[in-house]
Amino acid sequence: MDKELDGRFERLEKALATMIDSLSKNNPSTKLAQDLVAAEAELLEGLKLLEAHQNNHARIQQLRQSTEQADAQIKDIISSLWKMRQELTSVQTSPIPKGAKFQFTTGELLDFARRISRNTLPPPGVTNGVNMTPAAARHSQQPSSVEPEDSFRVTSQSQTQTPNTSFNVSFNGTLVDTPGPFNNNSTPIPNAGPANSQNPHTELPEHLKLATNPLHGASFFPWPSVEQVRSGALGAYQLLVDKGIDPRGYDPEFEEQRRKDAEREAEERAKQEREEAERRAREEAERIARQRELERQRARESMAAAAEEGRRDSVVGGPAAGKPKQFTFLGGDDDDDDDDD
Amino acid sequence: MSVDSSGMEPPPLPSDGPEEPKHGGHTRFELELEFVQALSNPEYVNWLASRKYLMNPAFVAYLDYLQYWSRPPYLKYLTYPTATLRMLQLLQSERFRQEILVPDVAWQLRLEGMKAAVLWHKEG
Repeated sequence: MDKELDGRFERLEKALATMIDSLSKNNPSTKLAQDLVAAEAELLEGLKLLEAHQNNHARIQQLRQSTEQADAQIKDIISSLWKMRQELTSVQTSPIPKGAKFQFTTGELLDFARRISRNTLPPPGVTNGVNMTPAAARHSQQPSSVEPEDSFRVTSQSQTQTPNTSFNVSFNGTLVDTPGPFNNNSTPIPNAGPANSQNPHTELPEHLKLATNPLHGASFFPWPSVEQVRSGALGAYQLLVDKGIDPRGYDPEFEEQRRKDAEREAEERAKQEREEAERRAREEAERIARQRELERQRARESMAAAAEEGRRDSVVGGPAAGKPKQFTFLGGDDDDDDDDD
Repeated sequence: MSVDSSGMEPPPLPSDGPEEPKHGGHTRFELELEFVQALSNPEYVNWLASRKYLMNPAFVAYLDYLQYWSRPPYLKYLTYPTATLRMLQLLQSERFRQEILVPDVAWQLRLEGMKAAVLWHKEG
């Protein structure tokens, strides 16, 4: 670039020298003047080129700088990545038990949560005697230096006392305090009395608040109670063992079913026997009735024969006139017997 | 007392396979599930300790065997998971098996358990 520019300068200088020379010799020539103009124009062009060159150079410098910055940044990132990787590899990982992975669905998870929630989370309001007020409020309420551990113990023990204990304590407390105001009756205090109390809200006294809370004193256990353990399947197992039954392979439900079946069978058998006996009795009765009927028939026939004989006798004018009356009576009785059958 | 369950396989899941043999009307799965959860009650464990069950090597082996409840697929059947898993873990320790005999330890465990049940979700 410099060489080219130098050449152009040289040409301009030469043209100018020849021009001055010709002027000093009083021999001006248009050709020389034109050469000079052309040389100047060339120089100007060269200068413009130089400017573009300089601009390009500056731009190159700028770009080089920015690539350097970017390089540095990349190096930083890479080194920090490397460090991070080192950190990651140096972290102690908890051993993951190898073996089958158990897939589960959201539905199963929610089912499990629903199943366990009543045993892992106390119902709202049940605090097992733990003071649930925030720490700051608790300090203002209880300025005494009772450890949280101890306060829990104290409240949980007070649970076992009768609910009226707190009431009695405060009641007795007021009893002790009351003589003061009564004795100073002569100097009435203008602001005394519940009507002028500072609290505008109507609130129950502390000892009555507990009485209105149905969950006061209720405890939540995150494990099955002793009663539940006692009345469970293991309790039933122990009962069987106590009875001298080997529970292995023994199913009370099955046994119960078998007992019921046996009962039903026995009942059916008894019913059948009863029916059989009834049938037999009925047959017997029928037989007797038939027999009786036969006897009656026979009696009637003999009676008819006797009557025939009597009539013959009466026609003859025999002595047995009362006999037919007796026969008529028996005939009427016969009808009644038939109705019974 | 005879506990012949050491080295035994955990019982099959309720839905698996053919009908299970029943013991007093319940399957082994049901009985062991009930027992492992009953163990979460410190009073019950104290009672077991007072009957010297926790000193019986066969019973200790049984406690070790019961650890299958802390793994899937049995884990999801626990309805008192927190206390059960903790107690199962504690019962593996010889020292704990001796100390739970002290009524005060059992009482303290009971208090701590009740307190934890109320407080654990307050922290989050």
